[in-house]
Amino acid sequence: MATTTATITLESSDLLTDVLALSTSATLTKAGGSTGATQTSGLARTNFTVGGVSPFTSKVIYRANDATSNGANKVYLKNLSTTAAEYFTVYIDQEQMGRLYAGDWAFFPWSAVDGTEETFVVTIAGSWAEGDTWSFDGITTTAANTTVADIAAQIHAQRFPNWTTSISTAVVTFTARVAGAAGVVTGTTAITGDTLASSSGTANITSGAAGTKSESDIIVVPSVATTMDLEHMLIKE
Amino acid sequence: MATTTASMALSSDLLTGALSATASTTCMKAGTTADGLDQARMGYNLIPTGTSFDLLDATAAGADKAAKVMISNDSTDETYYVTIVIDAKTIGRLYAGDWMFIPWNQDDATHDLEITATNGTNTITWMCFHEGETLTTQAD
Repeated sequence: MATTTATITLESSDLLTDVLALSTSATLTKAGGSTGATQTSGLARTNFTVGGVSPFTSKVIYRANDATSNGANKVYLKNLSTTAAEYFTVYIDQEQMGRLYAGDWAFFPWSAVDGTEETFVVTIAGSWAEGDTWSFDGITTTAANTTVADIAAQIHAQRFPNWTTSISTAVVTFTARVAGAAGVVTGTTAITGDTLASSSGTANITSGAAGTKSESDIIVVPSVATTMDLEHMLIKE
Repeated sequence: MATTTASMALSSDLLTGALSATASTTCMKAGTTADGLDQARMGYNLIPTGTSFDLLDATAAGADKAAKVMISNDSTDETYYVTIVIDAKTIGRLYAGDWMFIPWNQDDATHDLEITATNGTNTITWMCFHEGETLTTQAD
């Protein structure tokens, strides 16, 4: 079992009448148990050179998809700036947590409450001809033969940038990689952005469900447009 | 000026190589390098289950400042946890033995820092380093 230990020390000799010295250590475990946290994003550094005018462009540091909802996840953030006035504003979804000024750091539990991913089912049917195509998410699949199950398998074998797939014979189920109401699924039998080029083959959307946005994405906004760097790490189960 | 230092050290054998991070900051007032946060609130509380409590009330004087909050869950039953919420948004669950340290911007009056205990009465230690607070005038 992996052992991850986090220690905080708070010290001041002149804030209070007497010396302040507080230190505590935590061994990071999975929720409700003594088994150690098992996964990490690793320590990362993200540059913010965003340009434009205030409010400056934000970045999603961690998506709720990245961790288990209501798990014992922990997030570490550190503003690497040395210019006193430069700060990152840290948001959980739309709620501001606080400002991380130059040199400041934060370490906190993260609920990672996810939304739901859009999903839809496309059924390959009808009379396809070799060379017919179905395009979606920037990927075009060209039928290698006339067998609908084979064409569905070809679609499933693609690596869609924003979707994962599963297959059952000639039926391919698409699930968005990230939760959100992206607007691709427009109804229980309709999506936007797919193109079929076939004289008599079909690629009907036979079911679909819209998604909902995440409630816990960690979003960071820099206070200036020039270079600022954020050090960060996610430890999760 | 008061000098308060907050340091953290993290180490892990999760990866093939060493995983470690250290950070230390002197808690300064917003946007300065020469003037430390000069006020503090602190407490040691038993948090019973079933009720969401305001651990820290937001005040207008704390808007756009550099307040820092430390909470340590001193409970020993590993199933116990407190849920930390800011203005109805859940930050996360602080399990027994865990601690957290965050910046806290009281950007509006509803930006209270709230806490709810689960699975039993949790024991917490907390501190808030801040600036700009004036006491409320006695009203009765």
